[in-house]
Amino acid sequence: MNRNTFSYKLRQILMFAGPGTILFFAVVVVPFVYGLYLTFTSWDGVSAHKPFVGFANYAAAFSDGAYWVALGRTAIYSIFAVVFINILAFALAYLVTSGVKGQNFFRAGFFVPNLIGGIVLGYIWKFVFNRAYVAIASAITGGMAISPLSTTGGAMFCLIFVSVWQYAGYMMLIYVAGFMSVSDSLKEAAMIDGCTPSQAMRNVTIPLMRSSFVQCIFLSITRCFVVYDVNLSLTKGEPFNTSVLAAMHVYNQAFTYKNYGLGQAEALILFIVCAAVGITQVMIGKRGEVEA
Amino acid sequence: MKKSTVKKLLVAMLSFAMVFAMAACGGGSSSGDEGSSEGAAGALKIFNSKMEIQDVFEGELADAYEAETGVPVEVYYSSDTVAAHLSTKYASKDPYAVNMVDEKDLYSLAKEYGADMSDMDWVKDTNYAVTVDDKVVGYPVCVEARGVIYNATAIENALGEKFDPASIKTLDDFKAICDKLVKAGMETPTSIMKEDWSLGAHYLAQFIEEREDVDGYVASLKAGEAKVIEDAKFNALMDTFDVLKEYNMWKGQEGSAERELSEQALAEGKIAFMFGGNWDFAMMKDFDYTGGAGMMPVPQNVQDDYTGKLVGGGSKYFYVDASEGTSAETQQAAKDFLAWFASSETAQKFVSETCGMVSPFGSNTVTCTDDLGASVKGFADADMLIPNYPGFPDDHYSVIGAEMQKYLAGQCTREELATAIENYWKAQA
Amino acid sequence: MTQNEKAAAAKKRNHAIMIIILILLFILFIMPFILVIINVFKTKADIVSDPLALIGAHGFTMQNFPEAMAKMNFWNVFKNSLIITIISTVLTIFVSAMASFVIVRNGKWKFCSGLFALMVASMVIPFQVLMVPLVSVYGGIFGVLNHRLTLILMHTGFSVSMATFMFHGAIHTNIPLELEEAALIDGCSRWQTFWKVVFPLLKPTIATVAIIDAMAFWNDYLLPSLVLTDKALYTIPIATQAFYGTYSTDIGLVMAALLLAMLPILILYLFLQKYIVAGVTSGAVKG
Repeated sequence: MNRNTFSYKLRQILMFAGPGTILFFAVVVVPFVYGLYLTFTSWDGVSAHKPFVGFANYAAAFSDGAYWVALGRTAIYSIFAVVFINILAFALAYLVTSGVKGQNFFRAGFFVPNLIGGIVLGYIWKFVFNRAYVAIASAITGGMAISPLSTTGGAMFCLIFVSVWQYAGYMMLIYVAGFMSVSDSLKEAAMIDGCTPSQAMRNVTIPLMRSSFVQCIFLSITRCFVVYDVNLSLTKGEPFNTSVLAAMHVYNQAFTYKNYGLGQAEALILFIVCAAVGITQVMIGKRGEVEA
Repeated sequence: MKKSTVKKLLVAMLSFAMVFAMAACGGGSSSGDEGSSEGAAGALKIFNSKMEIQDVFEGELADAYEAETGVPVEVYYSSDTVAAHLSTKYASKDPYAVNMVDEKDLYSLAKEYGADMSDMDWVKDTNYAVTVDDKVVGYPVCVEARGVIYNATAIENALGEKFDPASIKTLDDFKAICDKLVKAGMETPTSIMKEDWSLGAHYLAQFIEEREDVDGYVASLKAGEAKVIEDAKFNALMDTFDVLKEYNMWKGQEGSAERELSEQALAEGKIAFMFGGNWDFAMMKDFDYTGGAGMMPVPQNVQDDYTGKLVGGGSKYFYVDASEGTSAETQQAAKDFLAWFASSETAQKFVSETCGMVSPFGSNTVTCTDDLGASVKGFADADMLIPNYPGFPDDHYSVIGAEMQKYLAGQCTREELATAIENYWKAQA
Repeated sequence: MTQNEKAAAAKKRNHAIMIIILILLFILFIMPFILVIINVFKTKADIVSDPLALIGAHGFTMQNFPEAMAKMNFWNVFKNSLIITIISTVLTIFVSAMASFVIVRNGKWKFCSGLFALMVASMVIPFQVLMVPLVSVYGGIFGVLNHRLTLILMHTGFSVSMATFMFHGAIHTNIPLELEEAALIDGCSRWQTFWKVVFPLLKPTIATVAIIDAMAFWNDYLLPSLVLTDKALYTIPIATQAFYGTYSTDIGLVMAALLLAMLPILILYLFLQKYIVAGVTSGAVKG
């Protein structure tokens, strides 16, 4: 069979990728293109009139200082969150696949944060930081402790902490699948050849789990860059709008301040930055991937 | 021409996707059938943005209206922001017939889509209708006002004497009673919320609203001519704010002030005063409420035409959608509902008794069951409400609220706050 | 002998340390779950005044459950959520696994590499950006909103890229090419090879994608709230939205609804765990 003809390729693609591609284009690409068009209008989000303004929104976005501050803040937040999410998730996955008693039980427990939606998580952690922490810290120091959420650095710390806590269990799932796909016989073979367990881990398991790493790091980068839920329910941008992350700024710009076109343009810039970071990471990661 | 090809292509893509999905799950998606887009046939769709009344609105009131008039009503609520939610409804060409929005939204949404209600009877029955471009488009849902909430029971228990809110006229009076309360064992008699809307849109906004020529003052702020730090009203209000801060139950941890806990402390008589509004009662009544709460004006040492009054007015407005998404009959049905909502006995009782809201309509003489509401109604009936200023930009509460948070936490001086306000307005020019 | 004993002791000690670390982390992770359980039996006032108390000042109450169930019309919304979640999840797995297969095995075709790059990039788009255009197109132009099927297809369309991304990694590293070649030599077509050889080997990833997507669909609020406006079609998150308000939150009802809503996902998770573990055998193939 000639596998290089156009009709063979077309048939293969239609058969396997057709349905997924069509849905993807219909739901993501088409609205995105329409959204792109809206960035060239001064639409307020509700009116039937969408006056065309060319690149005015982009000019406005570049001079919107609060936006760039929020974007920079998002980058810092993402770096910390991504690193800690992945370290913790990998450690958890290692621990729950190492054969300890009740590992299924533990796996379920670590996954629990994901079962509760963002709004309630925000409530719960707000309570922990504002009340439980304050009560305990005041008792220990004998003075009056203040909530970390009410200080500038503290609020960002809390955001990172809650994100790590929330996503670690999620990414753990992917790492667990990664650990499971590295066969025991390979590890055993390495140990018989004289590797210590940690050497086996470094030289056999981790290289074979490369795709899990690529996936998890990419997923955590993309989630962190566009985080909105936790930001809203935990800090709402407080104190003094110093914990407003990019997605929240964009949302407020588009809907609360009724500058839809500008908000959409700023979202597009956020998208480009984030896509550039994410795709670079995937490219680097894939390059060294071990082929099966 | 070009648009229609794109449209065709999209239709083709979507229908292909649908056919595939049907085939993929073995035609098992009989699910689509039940969800015909007609909904309950001919039901009047109302969007409610006052979450605390959603429960009774969609239940009790909708049932009563159907029973009385035979017209079914469906009441919707969204936890997304009002502007974002209505934006998606208009984008999908499926607007609600009746929409409840904030006053500022009327100037964008109702300006474009609102039906003219100028000739309706309820307009003559209220002082709070909103007119945009010479058309009455905003139908007031209720009256809300802000000021200092007091708990008379708590004060009387602590001091052993009758409390008369009218005796607190000046800031000096207020400070005196706070000192007395502290002496009597109530260590922190006041509370200030940390929310930006409370600090920015409700408290600080008063210094702009409490003057003769608000528009003129805003214009001079935008022109960079007004000196905020030299403004008597600004200083009077900030002096009061400083006193509230001094006796604040959250002193030292102002940024962790949780609204529910402040309301609880006030309701249960652990504190005596809180800056807020009559909407706080919805939460207060759920605690072990001591009774005896009411509203009084923010005490100030500068006495003028505006002291002794609360700031407030209509809050939440209905407008009737007149876009192509709503037929003429539906618009009429929507207007009929609003007429009924203003004048029928059922609706009047619903507003004042069930919801405890202050009715904006003169013909509604049902007593308001809500203590703070009753207090506000007293001020409204005596014409002692200073109107809300509708001209604040959409980001005012957030930007200025953040500055007020800094001031509250002691991280900026009054001069810096004044400068920040001046800079904000200059940037609006 | 002594060396063996020492090693055994060290192993035991390591094991104990591991267990302790796990338990501490475990407590940290299930803390919110515990808070939910404690508070679901309290009145709203008690929850606000002291969320940590085991029993509130107003005593123990079961009232939150029936009230929440009645207010959200529980069985109906539960059924809707179930239908939508199951069909969307299954559909996502099928279309994504197939798409990733052709993409991985024909990575040199421009269409495949282009599609994959596009999908990866699209995962970064914040949903809020697509929200208004999406309803403009499917509501404003086509008027197909307010059907479960529309929501199912949209859910699938939004999750295809991430699921494809995950299957891509799994096929790339864990499915030996030799197995497929052997199947082809045995006379299988590409289509048969995929379903008979490749798909079964993807079990751990399928289980992972299933749990991640099912959870996302089950808990999603924004998209269903845009698509479904008819109350008869509401899903659990839309039905409970009125419990959260700006000025007052009926936190007792939130807790009850939450507990009712999270149980199915927890059960699904425990069930799928087996398949993730079962992956050990599939991985052994290439050994």
